[in-house]
Amino acid sequence: MADSTGKFWKSILLRHETILLIVLVLEWLYFNSVGPRFGSLGNTFDIVRHSVEIGLLALVMTPVILTGGIDLSVGSLLGLCAILFGKFWRDAGMPLPVAGVCTLGIGALAGGLNAALITRLRLPPLIVTLGTYSLFRGLAEAITSGVDTFTNFPASFLFLGQDRWLGIPAQAPIFIIVAVAVWLLVHGTTFGRSFRAIGFAPEGARYAGIPVNRRIALAYVLAGAVAALAAIIYTARLGQAKADAGTGYELFAITAVVLGGTSIFGGIGSVHGTLLGVAAIAVLNNGLVHARQPREVAGMLTGGLLLLALSSSAVPRLFSRLRSRKPAKATQTVSPTPAS
Amino acid sequence: MPPLLQLANVTKSFGAVRALKGVSFDLQGGEIHALLGENGAGKSTLIKVVTGAHQPDGGTITVAGQLVPHLSPASAHKLGIACIYQQPALFPDLTVAENIGLRLEPATATRTVNWPGRRDRAAKLLKRIGADIDPDTEVRNLSMPEQQLVEIACALGAEARIVIMDEPTASLTQKEQHLLFAVVRGLRDNGVGVIYISHRLEEIFALADRVTVLRDGESVGTSKTDDMTETSLIRLMVGREVSQIYPPAAGAPGEVALSLKNVSCGASGIKNVTLEVRAGEVVGLAGLVGAGRTELARVLFGLTPADAGEIALQGRAVVIASPAEAIAKGMAYVPEDRRRHGIILEMPIAANVTMAIQRRIFPGAWLRPKAERQLTLEYIRDLAVKTYGPEAPGGSLSGGNQQKVSLARWLATKPKVLILDEPTQGVDVGAKSEIHKLIRRLAREGMAVLMISSDLPEILGMSDRIAVMRGGTITAMLPGKSDAHEVMSAALGQAEKGVAAC
Ligand SMILES: Nc1ncnc2c1ncn2[C@@H]1O[C@H](COP(=O)(O)OP(=O)(O)OP(=O)(O)O)[C@@H](O)[C@H]1O
Ligand SMILES: [Mg+2]
Repeated sequence: MADSTGKFWKSILLRHETILLIVLVLEWLYFNSVGPRFGSLGNTFDIVRHSVEIGLLALVMTPVILTGGIDLSVGSLLGLCAILFGKFWRDAGMPLPVAGVCTLGIGALAGGLNAALITRLRLPPLIVTLGTYSLFRGLAEAITSGVDTFTNFPASFLFLGQDRWLGIPAQAPIFIIVAVAVWLLVHGTTFGRSFRAIGFAPEGARYAGIPVNRRIALAYVLAGAVAALAAIIYTARLGQAKADAGTGYELFAITAVVLGGTSIFGGIGSVHGTLLGVAAIAVLNNGLVHARQPREVAGMLTGGLLLLALSSSAVPRLFSRLRSRKPAKATQTVSPTPAS
Repeated sequence: MPPLLQLANVTKSFGAVRALKGVSFDLQGGEIHALLGENGAGKSTLIKVVTGAHQPDGGTITVAGQLVPHLSPASAHKLGIACIYQQPALFPDLTVAENIGLRLEPATATRTVNWPGRRDRAAKLLKRIGADIDPDTEVRNLSMPEQQLVEIACALGAEARIVIMDEPTASLTQKEQHLLFAVVRGLRDNGVGVIYISHRLEEIFALADRVTVLRDGESVGTSKTDDMTETSLIRLMVGREVSQIYPPAAGAPGEVALSLKNVSCGASGIKNVTLEVRAGEVVGLAGLVGAGRTELARVLFGLTPADAGEIALQGRAVVIASPAEAIAKGMAYVPEDRRRHGIILEMPIAANVTMAIQRRIFPGAWLRPKAERQLTLEYIRDLAVKTYGPEAPGGSLSGGNQQKVSLARWLATKPKVLILDEPTQGVDVGAKSEIHKLIRRLAREGMAVLMISSDLPEILGMSDRIAVMRGGTITAMLPGKSDAHEVMSAALGQAEKGVAAC
């Protein structure tokens, strides 16, 4: 009994998520002690505002990576969608809600393009989305000739990115809804299980009757649609849409997902892990400003954090390997040498 | 002379599972020593200890009188230990010759490869075991039995002192089996010690000099094969009597459940297959390795859809373009390669069992862990899967138990047409007879069963009719009561019978 409860706690404590949570708390305590304003409510909301877009991308990157794929195009798609959203509103004269819905549709379509290239042409996701990464950004630049920006959005729209609703940043409820939905999808439904099965063994999943192509398509379409949602929130937060919106966001999102314990080879991973990964990166980036460190340090530390988190979850495995070797050695020394 | 290999009190645990509880075992040079035991008894674990793949928790290993304190795969190789694992472990993207070269060639000083020499050696080895395989094909294009033949060629080429074979014949047909037996006997006559694992007792009696029986991680005895009978071996293994008599056939079969008319598929070499399977009937599909039996099953299940001909289910013409469609139409296919296609090794048993019935047991796509667990426990009990629970990953199961989970997945779909591809490969005698009874019962309840098997006694014992395939088409229909010789000669194409009356 005692043994099994001990094991239970050990398995919880050595979980990747637990380690990450500890890292997050340490981060927070440290920055709170060096930056006087870091721990204030206002700053906490700042962190939330700044991490919602990357957080959204990371959330939907999780199912993609679970299937053993990757989507490098989400940052560029965010840029393209921001531009198109501005175009729909300013140049096509659509009311903002309609422009928003159209933008979401474009995002889903773009995700569908990724999915079609991956499933129909059987090209590796890395290559396909590397292509659409350039394509989407290039389109955004072409549409704006690289200079056009969209500004002067009405205050009722900017509310979404800059104001508070029921006392919390207005974009937070949207993020929470998406987070809960993705969590349920990945952990509570057969879709999530199919993603994992495909990530572990695509052929094995096909033999079991899982509609592999449809499930892969779902993951990429979802990624595209949510990238569009992130584009709208981004536009509302900054009050403008430019062709370079979201540059590099795909890498932040992937970093957060991997930091959260999702295997880049697919199959293994969790949405709550991704959320912790997003939080760890967001707190680090914000905290460094409060600690009066140059911005450049942030990238370095994020990289260090990633390597640390990954290797720390490898430590228990290392220990158990050492342990399993020891008894064998012990018997070697006492065992009698048979007569030869 | 000290024994070639001696294990004393070897123990090995995986977490809480004690796979070996102090096993002692010895192997002489020039001997074929069979290792026998139920699924999960610890046979594969024991040989993985000998090949250095697993580190034992305790006990000693002595090779030719020399204590080996720490055995790694590399040092095992140096000591002259070669192994054919239960599951072929070849690199799928490399050619056959490259795979053989990787195993056998020592690194040269310049790290260069003698390509023609590599190819020649591969071709020679394959010829020696009578395998008709082009050394230049990529391994991914080989069937399971063909991969197994390549593994055997590797072990042969290693010129090892100790050769271990873990169920080498599980998916070989009689022709390849006989060639393999000749090779194994040749090794023995050259002084090599062979450890041979198989669930087919007739092979043990045909080959082995001595036999050691494992039960639940313990050795329950070693004796000369000549001193044993099938019954006494089974009793040692299972601890009870197992009837080896096949269950009787059902009465008159019902309506035609599955009918094929001139079905062809260019991509997989299936030509003009015409066949009917009635509800309540078990049709055996016999043939040699490469005859196209698995390929036909894949066509029927929509994995490589047919490009000509007609397929009808319950008299209604259907097009089956994907496994999902096949399942929706009431078909099930237990595949040949359980590790790649039958189960997903990283996922829990429960997820594996329910994978093909997600729509039915998870309405609205919401997972229902309780219902899933319940169902899985039922199958674990019915098929006597040896495991600590439904949450155990498939990869932690022994080979035979993985096969049972693969079977459970498809039985859970409650299909109208069940296609079985080597349903009892790697399954021990006791479980095998249970599975045979189960298949019969399902047939009696109205299921149509198409059963591919390389185990001729199984084909003869279970089939109501036997279809023999050769070169991608059905060359003979024989009644279930045929004798082995008839089936073999039809498979070899000696006595051309054509599609005779049945
Ligand atoms: N990697 C592993 N992790 C956990 N348990 C394992 C692992 N490998 C084997 N086992 C367990 O060890 C026991 C012995 O397994 P083993 O593979 O040696 O059986 P086997 O005698 O070869 O059976 P079979 O005839 O089915 O191949 C089984 O209960 C199995 O579940
Ligand atoms: Mg085994």
